Amino acid sequence: MCRDTVGLGGRQGRGIGATRGLGVPRVPRRQVVASFALLAPAVVFLVLWFVVPLARLSVLAFSGEGGVAAALETLLTSAAYRRVFLNTVQISAVVTVLCVALAFPVALVLSRLRGIWFNVVLYCVLFPFWVSLLVRTFSWMLLLERNGPVNQVLMALGVTDQPLRLLFNDFSVVVGMTHVLLPYAVLPLFARMRAIDGRLLMASDGLGASVLDTLRFIYLPLVMPGLLGAAAIVFLLALGFFVTPALLGGASSLTVSTLISDFVSQRLAWSLAAGASLILLVFVLALLALSRRVIALGAGAAAR
Amino acid sequence: MNARSRSPRFLLHVTAALVLAFLMLPILAVVPASFSEARFIRLPPDAYTLDWYGAFLSDRDWRAAFLTSLHVAIAVTVFSVVLGTAAALGLRRVPGHAGAMLLALFVSPLIVPVIVTAVAVYRTALDIHLNSTFLGVVFSHSLIALPFVIVNVGISLRGVSDDWLKAAAGLGAHPLTVFRTVTLPAVMPGVTGGAVFAFITSFDEITISLFITGAQTKTLPVKIWEDIRLEFTPVVAVAATLLIALALLLFLGIALVNRLYGRRAA
Repeated sequence: MCRDTVGLGGRQGRGIGATRGLGVPRVPRRQVVASFALLAPAVVFLVLWFVVPLARLSVLAFSGEGGVAAALETLLTSAAYRRVFLNTVQISAVVTVLCVALAFPVALVLSRLRGIWFNVVLYCVLFPFWVSLLVRTFSWMLLLERNGPVNQVLMALGVTDQPLRLLFNDFSVVVGMTHVLLPYAVLPLFARMRAIDGRLLMASDGLGASVLDTLRFIYLPLVMPGLLGAAAIVFLLALGFFVTPALLGGASSLTVSTLISDFVSQRLAWSLAAGASLILLVFVLALLALSRRVIALGAGAAAR
Repeated sequence: MNARSRSPRFLLHVTAALVLAFLMLPILAVVPASFSEARFIRLPPDAYTLDWYGAFLSDRDWRAAFLTSLHVAIAVTVFSVVLGTAAALGLRRVPGHAGAMLLALFVSPLIVPVIVTAVAVYRTALDIHLNSTFLGVVFSHSLIALPFVIVNVGISLRGVSDDWLKAAAGLGAHPLTVFRTVTLPAVMPGVTGGAVFAFITSFDEITISLFITGAQTKTLPVKIWEDIRLEFTPVVAVAATLLIALALLLFLGIALVNRLYGRRAA
Protein backbone atom coordinates (compact mmCIF):
# COMPACT_ATOMS: atom_id res chain seq x y z
CA MET A 1 0.00 0.00 0.00
CA CYS A 2 2.70 2.43 1.08
CA ARG A 3 4.84 1.59 -1.86
CA ASP A 4 1.90 2.21 -4.17
CA THR A 5 1.31 5.70 -2.83
CA VAL A 6 5.00 6.48 -3.02
CA GLY A 7 4.96 5.15 -6.55
CA LEU A 8 2.18 7.56 -7.37
CA GLY A 9 4.44 10.25 -6.07
CA GLY A 10 3.66 13.81 -5.25
CA ARG A 11 1.87 15.47 -2.38
CA GLN A 12 -1.35 13.58 -2.83
CA GLY A 13 0.29 10.24 -2.07
CA ARG A 14 1.92 11.53 1.07
CA GLY A 15 -1.36 13.12 2.12
CA ILE A 16 -3.17 9.78 2.03
CA GLY A 17 -0.32 8.13 3.90
CA ALA A 18 -0.45 10.79 6.59
CA THR A 19 -4.17 10.46 7.29
CA ARG A 20 -3.88 6.70 7.39
CA GLY A 21 -0.99 6.99 9.82
CA LEU A 22 -3.15 8.95 12.22
CA GLY A 23 -5.72 6.20 12.12
CA VAL A 24 -8.54 8.61 11.33
CA PRO A 25 -10.50 7.55 8.27
CA ARG A 26 -11.17 10.57 6.11
CA VAL A 27 -14.90 10.84 5.64
CA PRO A 28 -15.94 13.14 2.81
CA ARG A 29 -18.15 16.00 3.89
CA ARG A 30 -20.91 14.84 1.58
CA GLN A 31 -21.03 11.50 3.36
CA VAL A 32 -21.30 13.17 6.75
CA VAL A 33 -24.27 15.18 5.53
CA ALA A 34 -25.79 12.04 3.98
CA SER A 35 -25.51 9.94 7.14
CA PHE A 36 -26.90 12.82 9.18
CA ALA A 37 -29.90 13.00 6.86
CA LEU A 38 -30.36 9.24 7.05
CA LEU A 39 -30.27 9.18 10.85
CA ALA A 40 -32.36 12.29 11.44
CA PRO A 41 -35.90 10.87 10.93
CA ALA A 42 -35.40 7.96 13.35
CA VAL A 43 -33.66 10.15 15.94
CA VAL A 44 -36.32 12.86 15.74
CA PHE A 45 -39.07 10.26 16.02
CA LEU A 46 -37.48 8.57 19.07
CA VAL A 47 -36.85 11.90 20.79
CA LEU A 48 -40.42 13.11 20.24
CA TRP A 49 -42.27 9.86 20.97
CA PHE A 50 -39.96 8.26 23.54
CA VAL A 51 -37.36 10.54 25.16
CA VAL A 52 -39.66 13.53 25.65
CA PRO A 53 -42.57 11.42 27.03
CA LEU A 54 -40.18 9.71 29.47
CA ALA A 55 -38.77 13.06 30.56
CA ARG A 56 -42.28 14.47 31.00
CA LEU A 57 -43.30 11.44 33.05
CA SER A 58 -40.22 11.87 35.25
CA VAL A 59 -41.15 15.50 35.86
CA LEU A 60 -44.65 14.34 36.78
CA ALA A 61 -43.14 12.26 39.59
CA PHE A 62 -42.11 15.48 41.33
CA SER A 63 -45.34 17.37 40.83
CA GLY A 64 -47.58 15.67 43.38
CA GLU A 65 -50.00 17.60 45.56
CA GLY A 66 -47.98 17.25 48.76
CA GLY A 67 -44.78 18.81 47.44
CA VAL A 68 -41.85 17.93 45.21
CA ALA A 69 -40.86 14.63 46.79
CA ALA A 70 -44.32 13.64 48.04
CA ALA A 71 -44.96 10.85 45.53
CA LEU A 72 -41.55 9.23 45.96
CA GLU A 73 -41.81 9.56 49.72
CA THR A 74 -45.21 7.85 49.78
CA LEU A 75 -43.94 5.03 47.57
CA LEU A 76 -40.76 4.42 49.53
CA THR A 77 -42.12 4.74 53.06
CA SER A 78 -45.53 3.07 52.86
CA ALA A 79 -45.40 -0.53 54.02
CA ALA A 80 -47.93 -1.61 51.38
CA TYR A 81 -45.85 -0.26 48.49
CA ARG A 82 -42.63 -1.58 49.98
CA ARG A 83 -44.25 -5.01 50.00
CA VAL A 84 -45.04 -4.65 46.29
CA PHE A 85 -41.41 -3.77 45.48
CA LEU A 86 -40.17 -6.65 47.60
CA ASN A 87 -42.66 -9.05 45.99
CA THR A 88 -41.46 -7.97 42.53
CA VAL A 89 -37.82 -8.60 43.40
CA GLN A 90 -38.67 -11.94 45.02
CA ILE A 91 -40.70 -13.19 42.07
CA SER A 92 -38.02 -12.01 39.64
CA ALA A 93 -35.31 -13.77 41.64
CA VAL A 94 -37.21 -17.07 41.76
CA VAL A 95 -38.00 -16.85 38.03
CA THR A 96 -34.34 -16.10 37.28
CA VAL A 97 -33.11 -19.15 39.19
CA LEU A 98 -35.72 -21.40 37.55
CA CYS A 99 -35.00 -20.07 34.06
CA VAL A 100 -31.24 -20.51 34.33
CA ALA A 101 -31.62 -23.99 35.84
CA LEU A 102 -34.04 -25.11 33.12
CA ALA A 103 -32.09 -23.42 30.33
CA PHE A 104 -28.83 -25.10 31.27
CA PRO A 105 -29.58 -28.62 30.00
CA VAL A 106 -31.26 -27.30 26.85
CA ALA A 107 -28.34 -25.01 26.01
CA LEU A 108 -25.87 -27.80 26.78
CA VAL A 109 -27.63 -30.25 24.46
CA LEU A 110 -28.02 -27.57 21.82
CA SER A 111 -24.32 -26.71 21.92
CA ARG A 112 -23.41 -30.33 21.12
CA LEU A 113 -26.04 -31.09 18.50
CA ARG A 114 -25.43 -30.87 14.77
CA GLY A 115 -27.59 -31.13 11.68
CA ILE A 116 -31.33 -31.61 11.72
CA TRP A 117 -31.67 -32.13 15.48
CA PHE A 118 -29.81 -28.91 16.11
CA ASN A 119 -32.37 -27.09 13.97
CA VAL A 120 -35.30 -28.84 15.65
CA VAL A 121 -34.16 -27.87 19.14
CA LEU A 122 -33.18 -24.35 18.08
CA TYR A 123 -36.60 -23.81 16.47
CA CYS A 124 -38.28 -25.05 19.65
CA VAL A 125 -36.36 -22.38 21.58
CA LEU A 126 -36.94 -19.61 19.04
CA PHE A 127 -40.58 -20.27 18.12
CA PRO A 128 -42.06 -19.05 21.44
CA PHE A 129 -40.54 -15.61 20.72
CA TRP A 130 -42.91 -15.37 17.77
CA VAL A 131 -46.05 -16.31 19.63
CA SER A 132 -47.93 -13.47 21.25
CA LEU A 133 -47.09 -13.04 24.92
CA LEU A 134 -50.79 -12.69 25.58
CA VAL A 135 -51.54 -16.05 23.97
CA ARG A 136 -48.83 -17.82 25.96
CA THR A 137 -50.20 -16.32 29.16
CA PHE A 138 -53.78 -17.22 28.21
CA SER A 139 -52.66 -20.83 27.72
CA TRP A 140 -51.51 -20.96 31.33
CA MET A 141 -54.86 -19.59 32.47
CA LEU A 142 -56.54 -22.56 30.76
CA LEU A 143 -54.00 -25.08 32.03
CA LEU A 144 -54.02 -23.97 35.67
CA GLU A 145 -57.76 -23.43 35.93
CA ARG A 146 -59.75 -25.08 38.70
CA ASN A 147 -60.96 -27.82 36.33
CA GLY A 148 -57.97 -27.51 34.02
CA PRO A 149 -55.63 -30.27 32.84
CA VAL A 150 -53.02 -29.73 35.54
CA ASN A 151 -55.56 -30.19 38.31
CA GLN A 152 -57.03 -33.20 36.48
CA VAL A 153 -53.61 -34.84 36.34
CA LEU A 154 -52.87 -34.05 39.97
CA MET A 155 -56.20 -35.59 41.03
CA ALA A 156 -55.76 -38.63 38.81
CA LEU A 157 -52.34 -39.19 40.37
CA GLY A 158 -53.89 -38.91 43.80
CA VAL A 159 -51.74 -35.95 44.79
CA THR A 160 -54.85 -34.12 45.90
CA ASP A 161 -58.53 -34.93 46.50
CA GLN A 162 -59.98 -31.67 45.34
CA PRO A 163 -58.73 -29.18 42.75
CA LEU A 164 -55.91 -26.95 43.98
CA ARG A 165 -56.07 -23.21 43.63
CA LEU A 166 -53.27 -22.82 41.10
CA LEU A 167 -54.35 -19.61 39.43
CA PHE A 168 -54.21 -15.93 40.43
CA ASN A 169 -51.38 -16.20 42.94
CA ASP A 170 -47.58 -16.00 43.05
CA PHE A 171 -47.33 -19.62 41.89
CA SER A 172 -49.08 -19.00 38.57
CA VAL A 173 -47.11 -15.79 38.05
CA VAL A 174 -43.81 -17.63 38.58
CA VAL A 175 -44.82 -20.50 36.27
CA GLY A 176 -46.04 -18.19 33.53
CA MET A 177 -43.04 -15.88 33.70
CA THR A 178 -40.57 -18.76 33.75
CA HIS A 179 -42.23 -20.16 30.65
CA VAL A 180 -42.09 -16.82 28.82
CA LEU A 181 -38.55 -15.86 29.85
CA LEU A 182 -36.90 -19.28 29.44
CA PRO A 183 -35.79 -18.73 25.79
CA TYR A 184 -34.00 -15.52 26.86
CA ALA A 185 -31.87 -17.63 29.21
CA VAL A 186 -31.16 -20.40 26.68
CA LEU A 187 -29.64 -18.17 24.00
CA PRO A 188 -26.78 -16.47 25.93
CA LEU A 189 -25.95 -19.78 27.65
CA PHE A 190 -25.88 -21.56 24.31
CA ALA A 191 -23.68 -18.88 22.73
CA ARG A 192 -21.18 -19.21 25.57
CA MET A 193 -21.21 -23.02 25.57
CA ARG A 194 -20.66 -23.19 21.84
CA ALA A 195 -17.53 -21.06 22.21
CA ILE A 196 -15.95 -23.50 24.67
CA ASP A 197 -13.20 -25.68 23.26
CA GLY A 198 -14.39 -29.28 23.65
CA ARG A 199 -10.80 -30.52 23.84
CA LEU A 200 -10.50 -29.01 27.32
CA LEU A 201 -13.22 -31.38 28.53
CA MET A 202 -11.70 -34.33 26.72
CA ALA A 203 -8.34 -33.51 28.32
CA SER A 204 -9.93 -33.46 31.75
CA ASP A 205 -11.73 -36.73 31.00
CA GLY A 206 -8.55 -38.29 29.62
CA LEU A 207 -6.60 -37.29 32.73
CA GLY A 208 -9.04 -39.32 34.80
CA ALA A 209 -11.38 -36.70 36.23
CA SER A 210 -14.94 -37.85 36.86
CA VAL A 211 -17.76 -36.34 34.85
CA LEU A 212 -18.88 -34.30 37.85
CA ASP A 213 -15.35 -33.02 38.52
CA THR A 214 -14.95 -32.00 34.89
CA LEU A 215 -18.28 -30.23 35.10
CA ARG A 216 -17.40 -28.47 38.32
CA PHE A 217 -13.79 -27.48 37.78
CA ILE A 218 -13.57 -27.04 34.02
CA TYR A 219 -16.98 -26.53 32.48
CA LEU A 220 -18.80 -24.38 35.02
CA PRO A 221 -16.06 -21.73 35.33
CA LEU A 222 -15.92 -21.50 31.54
CA VAL A 223 -19.71 -21.20 31.26
CA MET A 224 -19.99 -18.68 34.12
CA PRO A 225 -20.13 -15.52 31.93
CA GLY A 226 -22.98 -17.02 29.92
CA LEU A 227 -24.72 -18.05 33.11
CA LEU A 228 -24.43 -14.55 34.58
CA GLY A 229 -25.52 -13.01 31.29
CA ALA A 230 -28.59 -15.23 31.14
CA ALA A 231 -29.46 -14.49 34.77
CA ALA A 232 -29.02 -10.73 34.24
CA ILE A 233 -31.25 -10.64 31.16
CA VAL A 234 -34.01 -12.71 32.77
CA PHE A 235 -33.92 -10.74 36.02
CA LEU A 236 -34.05 -7.38 34.23
CA LEU A 237 -36.95 -8.46 32.02
CA ALA A 238 -38.77 -10.04 34.97
CA LEU A 239 -38.61 -6.83 37.03
CA GLY A 240 -40.59 -4.85 34.49
CA PHE A 241 -42.86 -7.66 33.31
CA PHE A 242 -46.46 -6.65 32.96
CA VAL A 243 -48.77 -8.93 30.96
CA THR A 244 -48.16 -12.19 32.82
CA PRO A 245 -48.39 -10.82 36.39
CA ALA A 246 -51.43 -8.76 35.41
CA LEU A 247 -53.33 -11.78 34.08
CA LEU A 248 -52.03 -14.62 36.25
CA GLY A 249 -51.50 -12.71 39.48
CA GLY A 250 -54.04 -12.22 42.22
CA ALA A 251 -54.89 -9.21 44.30
CA SER A 252 -52.19 -10.17 46.80
CA SER A 253 -49.44 -10.64 44.24
CA LEU A 254 -49.09 -7.14 42.87
CA THR A 255 -45.83 -6.29 41.14
CA VAL A 256 -44.40 -2.85 40.41
CA SER A 257 -45.67 -2.96 36.83
CA THR A 258 -49.23 -3.93 37.77
CA LEU A 259 -49.12 -1.27 40.50
CA ILE A 260 -48.14 1.38 37.92
CA SER A 261 -50.99 0.26 35.70
CA ASP A 262 -53.43 0.43 38.63
CA PHE A 263 -52.29 3.94 39.51
CA VAL A 264 -53.06 5.11 35.98
CA SER A 265 -56.20 3.23 35.04
CA GLN A 266 -57.93 2.70 38.39
CA ARG A 267 -56.89 5.64 40.52
CA LEU A 268 -55.71 8.30 38.06
CA ALA A 269 -52.84 8.88 40.47
CA TRP A 270 -50.39 10.19 37.90
CA SER A 271 -47.65 11.39 40.21
CA LEU A 272 -47.60 8.02 42.00
CA ALA A 273 -47.55 6.19 38.64
CA ALA A 274 -44.73 8.44 37.48
CA GLY A 275 -42.85 7.96 40.74
CA ALA A 276 -43.13 4.18 40.62
CA SER A 277 -42.09 4.22 36.94
CA LEU A 278 -39.07 6.33 37.79
CA ILE A 279 -38.04 3.99 40.62
CA LEU A 280 -38.43 0.94 38.36
CA LEU A 281 -36.52 2.62 35.53
CA VAL A 282 -33.63 3.76 37.73
CA PHE A 283 -33.43 0.31 39.33
CA VAL A 284 -33.36 -1.44 35.94
CA LEU A 285 -30.74 0.93 34.49
CA ALA A 286 -28.55 0.63 37.58
CA LEU A 287 -28.74 -3.17 37.43
CA LEU A 288 -27.98 -3.06 33.72
CA ALA A 289 -24.84 -1.01 34.32
CA LEU A 290 -23.85 -3.30 37.19
CA SER A 291 -24.54 -6.53 35.30
CA ARG A 292 -22.49 -5.39 32.33
CA ARG A 293 -19.54 -5.00 34.67
CA VAL A 294 -20.19 -8.39 36.30
CA ILE A 295 -20.47 -10.11 32.94
CA ALA A 296 -17.31 -8.38 31.71
CA LEU A 297 -15.49 -9.44 34.89
CA GLY A 298 -16.74 -12.99 34.47
CA ALA A 299 -15.55 -13.05 30.89
CA GLY A 300 -12.19 -11.68 31.99
CA ALA A 301 -11.83 -14.33 34.68
CA ALA A 302 -12.75 -17.09 32.24
CA ALA A 303 -10.26 -15.81 29.70
CA ARG A 304 -7.55 -16.09 32.33
CA MET B 1 -17.78 -41.85 24.90
CA ASN B 2 -17.05 -44.33 27.62
CA ALA B 3 -19.58 -46.16 29.74
CA ARG B 4 -19.03 -43.82 32.66
CA SER B 5 -20.46 -40.83 30.89
CA ARG B 6 -23.31 -42.58 29.14
CA SER B 7 -25.87 -42.40 31.90
CA PRO B 8 -25.40 -38.68 32.72
CA ARG B 9 -25.67 -38.03 29.03
CA PHE B 10 -28.93 -39.92 28.80
CA LEU B 11 -30.23 -38.03 31.81
CA LEU B 12 -29.20 -34.76 30.20
CA HIS B 13 -31.10 -35.50 27.02
CA VAL B 14 -34.23 -36.54 28.90
CA THR B 15 -34.10 -33.36 31.00
CA ALA B 16 -33.62 -31.20 27.91
CA ALA B 17 -36.53 -32.95 26.17
CA LEU B 18 -38.77 -32.34 29.20
CA VAL B 19 -37.82 -28.66 29.32
CA LEU B 20 -38.52 -28.33 25.59
CA ALA B 21 -41.91 -29.94 26.15
CA PHE B 22 -42.55 -27.41 28.93
CA LEU B 23 -41.62 -24.70 26.42
CA MET B 24 -43.73 -25.90 23.49
CA LEU B 25 -46.79 -27.77 24.79
CA PRO B 26 -48.42 -25.04 26.89
CA ILE B 27 -48.34 -22.71 23.86
CA LEU B 28 -50.46 -25.20 21.97
CA ALA B 29 -53.05 -25.68 24.71
CA VAL B 30 -55.31 -23.02 23.23
CA VAL B 31 -55.54 -24.83 19.89
CA PRO B 32 -57.79 -27.71 21.07
CA ALA B 33 -59.68 -25.18 23.20
CA SER B 34 -60.72 -23.35 20.04
CA PHE B 35 -62.41 -26.54 18.75
CA SER B 36 -64.15 -27.29 22.02
CA GLU B 37 -67.89 -27.81 21.64
CA ALA B 38 -68.82 -26.60 25.13
CA ARG B 39 -69.88 -23.01 25.70
CA PHE B 40 -67.05 -22.58 28.19
CA ILE B 41 -63.60 -23.93 27.60
CA ARG B 42 -62.87 -27.35 29.00
CA LEU B 43 -59.51 -28.96 28.42
CA PRO B 44 -59.37 -31.53 26.97
CA PRO B 45 -62.66 -30.87 25.13
CA ASP B 46 -65.44 -33.50 25.29
CA ALA B 47 -66.45 -32.93 21.69
CA TYR B 48 -65.08 -30.94 18.79
CA THR B 49 -66.63 -28.36 16.50
CA LEU B 50 -65.66 -25.65 14.03
CA ASP B 51 -68.58 -23.44 15.11
CA TRP B 52 -66.47 -20.98 17.06
CA TYR B 53 -64.46 -20.13 13.97
CA GLY B 54 -67.72 -19.20 12.26
CA ALA B 55 -68.73 -17.22 15.34
CA PHE B 56 -65.41 -15.38 15.28
CA LEU B 57 -65.72 -14.48 11.61
CA SER B 58 -69.31 -13.32 11.87
CA ASP B 59 -68.81 -11.24 15.01
CA ARG B 60 -68.49 -7.57 14.12
CA ASP B 61 -66.29 -6.67 17.10
CA TRP B 62 -63.78 -9.44 16.48
CA ARG B 63 -63.64 -8.66 12.78
CA ALA B 64 -63.11 -4.97 13.48
CA ALA B 65 -60.35 -5.71 15.99
CA PHE B 66 -58.64 -8.04 13.54
CA LEU B 67 -58.79 -5.46 10.74
CA THR B 68 -57.52 -2.69 13.02
CA SER B 69 -54.56 -4.87 14.01
CA LEU B 70 -53.85 -5.61 10.37
CA HIS B 71 -53.96 -1.95 9.32
CA VAL B 72 -51.86 -0.83 12.27
CA ALA B 73 -49.29 -3.59 11.68
CA ILE B 74 -48.94 -2.70 7.99
CA ALA B 75 -48.51 1.00 8.78
CA VAL B 76 -45.99 0.19 11.54
CA THR B 77 -44.05 -2.07 9.17
CA VAL B 78 -43.80 0.59 6.46
CA PHE B 79 -42.95 3.36 8.91
CA SER B 80 -40.30 1.47 10.84
CA VAL B 81 -38.73 -0.16 7.77
CA VAL B 82 -38.24 3.24 6.11
CA LEU B 83 -36.93 4.96 9.25
CA GLY B 84 -34.98 1.93 10.45
CA THR B 85 -33.26 1.11 7.16
CA ALA B 86 -32.24 4.74 6.71
CA ALA B 87 -30.96 4.89 10.28
CA ALA B 88 -28.96 1.66 9.90
CA LEU B 89 -27.36 2.99 6.71
CA GLY B 90 -26.53 6.28 8.41
CA LEU B 91 -25.25 4.57 11.55
CA ARG B 92 -22.62 2.77 9.48
CA ARG B 93 -20.80 6.05 8.83
CA VAL B 94 -20.83 7.21 12.44
CA PRO B 95 -17.62 6.02 14.12
CA GLY B 96 -16.84 5.04 17.69
CA HIS B 97 -18.48 6.60 20.68
CA ALA B 98 -21.14 8.61 18.85
CA GLY B 99 -22.21 5.51 16.92
CA ALA B 100 -22.46 3.47 20.11
CA MET B 101 -24.54 6.20 21.76
CA LEU B 102 -26.92 6.34 18.81
CA LEU B 103 -27.31 2.56 18.77
CA ALA B 104 -28.04 2.68 22.52
CA LEU B 105 -30.76 5.26 21.85
CA PHE B 106 -32.25 3.10 19.11
CA VAL B 107 -32.46 -0.08 21.19
CA SER B 108 -33.45 1.66 24.45
CA PRO B 109 -37.20 1.05 23.88
CA LEU B 110 -36.39 -2.66 24.32
CA ILE B 111 -34.54 -2.02 27.61
CA VAL B 112 -36.92 0.38 29.32
CA PRO B 113 -39.70 -1.68 30.96
CA VAL B 114 -42.60 -1.59 28.54
CA ILE B 115 -45.09 -0.53 31.22
CA VAL B 116 -43.00 2.60 31.81
CA THR B 117 -42.95 3.35 28.08
CA ALA B 118 -46.68 2.69 27.93
CA VAL B 119 -47.54 5.09 30.74
CA ALA B 120 -45.13 7.77 29.46
CA VAL B 121 -46.40 7.62 25.89
CA TYR B 122 -50.03 7.46 27.03
CA ARG B 123 -49.61 10.59 29.13
CA THR B 124 -48.02 12.60 26.31
CA ALA B 125 -50.56 11.27 23.81
CA LEU B 126 -53.36 12.38 26.13
CA ASP B 127 -51.87 15.87 26.37
CA ILE B 128 -51.62 16.30 22.60
CA HIS B 129 -54.86 14.42 21.86
CA LEU B 130 -53.23 11.58 19.95
CA ASN B 131 -54.50 8.86 22.29
CA SER B 132 -57.09 6.51 20.77
CA THR B 133 -56.01 7.64 17.30
CA PHE B 134 -54.64 5.44 14.55
CA LEU B 135 -51.51 7.61 14.32
CA GLY B 136 -50.90 7.38 18.07
CA VAL B 137 -51.14 3.59 18.02
CA VAL B 138 -48.85 3.34 14.97
CA PHE B 139 -46.22 5.62 16.55
CA SER B 140 -46.32 3.68 19.80
CA HIS B 141 -45.92 0.28 18.16
CA SER B 142 -43.15 1.67 15.96
CA LEU B 143 -41.10 2.46 19.07
CA ILE B 144 -40.55 -1.22 19.76
CA ALA B 145 -40.61 -2.32 16.09
CA LEU B 146 -37.86 0.10 15.03
CA PRO B 147 -35.00 -1.52 17.01
CA PHE B 148 -35.62 -4.87 15.26
CA VAL B 149 -35.33 -3.25 11.84
CA ILE B 150 -32.19 -1.27 12.72
CA VAL B 151 -30.45 -4.30 14.24
CA ASN B 152 -31.43 -6.65 11.40
CA VAL B 153 -30.39 -4.25 8.64
CA GLY B 154 -27.23 -3.43 10.60
CA ILE B 155 -26.29 -7.11 10.69
CA SER B 156 -26.66 -7.55 6.94
CA LEU B 157 -24.76 -4.30 6.35
CA ARG B 158 -21.74 -5.89 8.00
CA GLY B 159 -21.55 -8.10 4.92
CA VAL B 160 -21.24 -5.08 2.61
CA SER B 161 -17.60 -4.20 2.11
CA ASP B 162 -16.66 -0.54 1.67
CA ASP B 163 -14.43 -1.70 -1.17
CA TRP B 164 -17.48 -2.79 -3.20
CA LEU B 165 -18.99 0.66 -2.85
CA LYS B 166 -15.66 2.31 -3.75
CA ALA B 167 -15.25 -0.05 -6.70
CA ALA B 168 -18.73 0.78 -7.99
CA ALA B 169 -18.17 4.50 -7.46
CA GLY B 170 -14.69 4.28 -8.98
CA LEU B 171 -16.18 2.68 -12.07
CA GLY B 172 -18.31 5.75 -12.44
CA ALA B 173 -21.62 4.70 -10.89
CA HIS B 174 -23.89 7.39 -9.52
CA PRO B 175 -24.32 7.16 -5.71
CA LEU B 176 -27.98 6.24 -6.19
CA THR B 177 -27.03 3.55 -8.68
CA VAL B 178 -24.48 2.19 -6.19
CA PHE B 179 -27.22 2.12 -3.57
CA ARG B 180 -29.72 0.40 -5.86
CA THR B 181 -27.38 -2.18 -7.37
CA VAL B 182 -24.91 -2.91 -4.54
CA THR B 183 -26.15 -1.83 -1.10
CA LEU B 184 -29.85 -2.60 -1.43
CA PRO B 185 -29.54 -6.21 -2.68
CA ALA B 186 -27.01 -6.90 0.08
CA VAL B 187 -29.25 -5.59 2.87
CA MET B 188 -32.48 -7.13 1.53
CA PRO B 189 -32.35 -10.13 3.92
CA GLY B 190 -32.03 -7.70 6.83
CA VAL B 191 -34.84 -5.50 5.55
CA THR B 192 -37.11 -8.50 5.02
CA GLY B 193 -36.33 -9.92 8.46
CA GLY B 194 -36.80 -6.51 10.05
CA ALA B 195 -40.11 -6.01 8.25
CA VAL B 196 -41.46 -9.37 9.43
CA PHE B 197 -40.32 -8.67 13.01
CA ALA B 198 -41.90 -5.22 12.88
CA PHE B 199 -45.17 -6.66 11.61
CA ILE B 200 -45.49 -9.39 14.24
CA THR B 201 -44.29 -7.05 17.01
CA SER B 202 -47.08 -4.64 16.17
CA PHE B 203 -49.68 -7.35 15.61
CA ASP B 204 -48.98 -8.87 19.04
CA GLU B 205 -48.33 -5.68 21.03
CA ILE B 206 -50.54 -5.48 24.09
CA THR B 207 -49.08 -3.41 26.94
CA ILE B 208 -48.85 -0.01 25.23
CA SER B 209 -52.02 -0.78 23.27
CA LEU B 210 -54.01 -1.31 26.47
CA PHE B 211 -53.45 2.35 27.32
CA ILE B 212 -53.34 4.08 23.98
CA THR B 213 -56.06 2.38 21.93
CA GLY B 214 -59.65 3.56 22.03
CA ALA B 215 -63.06 2.26 20.97
CA GLN B 216 -62.32 3.00 17.31
CA THR B 217 -58.75 1.67 17.40
CA LYS B 218 -59.14 -1.48 19.50
CA THR B 219 -56.58 -4.04 18.33
CA LEU B 220 -57.02 -7.82 18.42
CA PRO B 221 -54.80 -8.36 21.50
CA VAL B 222 -56.72 -5.69 23.42
CA LYS B 223 -60.01 -7.38 22.53
CA ILE B 224 -58.58 -10.74 23.65
CA TRP B 225 -57.38 -9.14 26.89
CA GLU B 226 -60.80 -7.66 27.67
CA ASP B 227 -62.55 -10.95 26.96
CA ILE B 228 -60.30 -13.24 29.00
CA ARG B 229 -60.67 -10.97 32.00
CA LEU B 230 -64.40 -11.78 31.90
CA GLU B 231 -64.70 -15.42 30.85
CA PHE B 232 -62.92 -18.09 28.85
CA THR B 233 -65.05 -18.61 25.76
CA PRO B 234 -63.87 -20.70 22.84
CA VAL B 235 -64.10 -17.62 20.59
CA VAL B 236 -61.14 -16.12 22.46
CA ALA B 237 -59.29 -19.37 21.89
CA VAL B 238 -60.05 -19.00 18.17
CA ALA B 239 -58.45 -15.53 18.19
CA ALA B 240 -55.46 -16.89 20.09
CA THR B 241 -55.13 -19.83 17.70
CA LEU B 242 -55.14 -17.43 14.75
CA LEU B 243 -52.29 -15.50 16.38
CA ILE B 244 -50.34 -18.76 16.79
CA ALA B 245 -51.01 -19.67 13.15
CA LEU B 246 -49.76 -16.24 12.06
CA ALA B 247 -46.63 -16.66 14.20
CA LEU B 248 -45.99 -20.11 12.72
CA LEU B 249 -46.47 -18.83 9.18
CA LEU B 250 -44.05 -15.92 9.62
CA PHE B 251 -41.55 -18.05 11.56
CA LEU B 252 -41.41 -20.71 8.85
CA GLY B 253 -41.37 -18.02 6.17
CA ILE B 254 -38.32 -16.38 7.72
CA ALA B 255 -36.60 -19.74 8.19
CA LEU B 256 -37.19 -20.47 4.50
CA VAL B 257 -35.97 -17.03 3.38
CA ASN B 258 -32.82 -17.38 5.50
CA ARG B 259 -32.18 -20.78 3.98
CA LEU B 260 -32.57 -19.45 0.44
CA TYR B 261 -30.31 -16.44 1.07
CA GLY B 262 -27.84 -18.69 2.86
CA ARG B 263 -27.71 -21.00 -0.17
CA ARG B 264 -27.11 -18.11 -2.52
CA ALA B 265 -24.36 -16.70 -0.31
CA ALA B 266 -22.73 -20.12 -0.16
